[in-house]
Amino acid sequence: MPLDTSTYSLALLRVDGRRWNELRRIHAQIRTQAAADGSSYLEMGHTKVMCVVTGPSEPGPRRGGAGGTGGGGGVGAGGQSKDAEVVVNIVIAGFSSVDRKRRGRGDKRTLEMQSTLANTLAATLHTHLFPHSQINISLHVLSQDGSLLAALINAATLACVDAGIPMTDYVTACTAGSTSTYAANDEGADPLLDLNHQEEQELPGLTVATLGDSDKVVALVCESRVQISRLEGMLAVGVDGCKQVREILDQVIKAQGQKMILDGTVDKGTGLNDMDLD
Amino acid sequence: MPREAEPSLNEKNFVLQALQDSVRLDGRELEEYRPLALTFGDQYGVADVTLGKTRVLAKASAELTVPYADRPLDGIFNIATELSPMTSPAFEVNRPTETEVLVSRLLEKTVRRSGALDTESLCLVAGQKCWSIRVDVHVLSHDGNLIDAACFAVVAALRHFRKPDTSMEGGVLTVYTPAEREPVPLSWLHSPFCVTWSFFGEEGDIALLDATWMEEQVRSGSCTISLNKHGEICQIAKLGGVPVEAVSLLQCTNIALIKAKDLSSKLDNWLAEDAKRRDKGGLLAELSAENDRVPDM
Repeated sequence: MPLDTSTYSLALLRVDGRRWNELRRIHAQIRTQAAADGSSYLEMGHTKVMCVVTGPSEPGPRRGGAGGTGGGGGVGAGGQSKDAEVVVNIVIAGFSSVDRKRRGRGDKRTLEMQSTLANTLAATLHTHLFPHSQINISLHVLSQDGSLLAALINAATLACVDAGIPMTDYVTACTAGSTSTYAANDEGADPLLDLNHQEEQELPGLTVATLGDSDKVVALVCESRVQISRLEGMLAVGVDGCKQVREILDQVIKAQGQKMILDGTVDKGTGLNDMDLD
Repeated sequence: MPREAEPSLNEKNFVLQALQDSVRLDGRELEEYRPLALTFGDQYGVADVTLGKTRVLAKASAELTVPYADRPLDGIFNIATELSPMTSPAFEVNRPTETEVLVSRLLEKTVRRSGALDTESLCLVAGQKCWSIRVDVHVLSHDGNLIDAACFAVVAALRHFRKPDTSMEGGVLTVYTPAEREPVPLSWLHSPFCVTWSFFGEEGDIALLDATWMEEQVRSGSCTISLNKHGEICQIAKLGGVPVEAVSLLQCTNIALIKAKDLSSKLDNWLAEDAKRRDKGGLLAELSAENDRVPDM
C-alpha cells in the first residue's frame, strides 16, 4: 500500500529524515568467511546482504545440462569458453522483508537480478584470464529495505576484490528517485538519492551501476513509470551517488589491506614503504 | 541442451568492422527499423507481427475466474511467453532459458506494471467474479530484436481484443455471446512500446536499433527502453554489459521516444484500417452496447 510522502515539500526532509542528496549509512566488511575465496557483508541502511565468491575454479558437474537453470544467471559458456563463466546465485531469506513471503527458485524477479549481476560483473572482471573456469558468486539477502539490487552489486564487487579476481575498476551502484509522480509534470520535483523501501513503493526510481570514477553506466534498471524529462536529473544524482559509494567501498578495502599488513598476514610490498600505516 | 551455433570469427570481425564504418550487413541506417508488418486474425485479439525475418504471434483471451484473495477488486492479467524449439534448437519446452525469462519479465514490466490495462475494470463482482485476461506470445521465427516485436504484438493484440459484454441485474451476472451483444474492448490506458538499443565495441560507442540475430550475437551490450507516446518511460533495462556513457544513454532515450511515437501511430493506423474492414455496412456502431464516454449536457 502506498504511504504518503507528500510532506516532503514542507521541510524538504524525507520520511527517514534525510535530505535529497544523502545516502543512508553504508557499513561494509570484507573477508567475513575465512573458508571462502572472497566474501563480504554490506549494509545500506536496513538492507543487509552477504556475498561469498568461490573461484575462479574448474566448473562443477552441470545441473540438468542447461547453463544455470537451477543456479541462475550464468554468462559465458563455461567449460568450452575462452572466458570464465560468472554464475550468480541469489537467496532471499524468508525473514528478510516485513511480510514473510516464500519465493521459489523459479521466481522471475530473482532470476532477472541474477542475470543482471552476472552480466554486470562479467563486463568488469577480467574473465579472459581464466579460460575454461567458473566464478561462483553466491549472495544472501538478510534484510530488505529498498535498493536491493544496488546493495547486491556493491557486495559482489567487494567480494570479488577480496577474492583477488582482476577487474577493471569497482562497479558501484545506488538508486535514485524523483519526488514527482509520473502524471505530474511539475518542474519543481527534486531528485532523490538512495531510496528506501517506502520511497521505492510510491515514487518513480531507478537503479544505476557505474564503473569506477567514470560516468559510464554498466547497468540501469528503471521499473516505474516516469516522465522522460525526469530521467536526466535522476541519472545525474544516481551517478553522483555511485561515486560516493565507490569512495566508501575503497576505504573499506584500504582499511582491510592496512590491517592485514599490520597483522603480518601479508608482506609489506616494496612500493608501500612510504605509505603511512598508523 | 543443444546450443545456438555461434558465428565464426570471420563473420564476427566482418560485422564489427563494417559497423565501425557505420555500415550494416543489410544496408540499413543505424537507427532504422526493418520493415514492420502487422496482420490481425479473423478472431479478435490475434496479432501477427513480422519485423524483418522475426515473427511473433500474440493471442489475447479472456475467461471468468475468481479474483485473487488479496486483490478482490482487481481482475487478472497475465502475459505468457513461449519460445519453442521451432524458433531455435537452443530453446526447450518447459525449461525457460534465460532469454525467455528476460523477455517475459520485460513484457510484464512494460505492459502490466506500467498499468496499460486497467485491471479494476475487469472485476465484475468484488471478490467473486472477474475476467482473467491472458496474452500468449509465440515466437514463430527469431531473427533478433524479439523484445520489440513481442511487445508490439502484445499491445496490438490487447488493443484489438474484445471481451464478451456482461450485465448485472439483481445480483445475477449475465455474459452475452457475440451473437447477442457485440463484444466490448478492454479499458486501455496507454500503449507502451519497447525500443532496444544494441551497443558494440569495447567502449560501447556504436549504438544501433533493431539488431538482427547476427548483430545480437556479436553485440557487447543492450538497453531496452519502454515508452509511450506521451513521453513517459515505463521501464528501462540495461542489464549489465558494456559500460556506456550516461549522456549517450540519455540521447538513446530521446531517440527511442521518437521511435515509440512512430510505432504508436503505425499501430493506430492498422487498428483503424482493421476496424473499417470489419465494419461492413456500418452496422457496428448500432450493434455496440457500449456507452459513449461523453457526459450528457
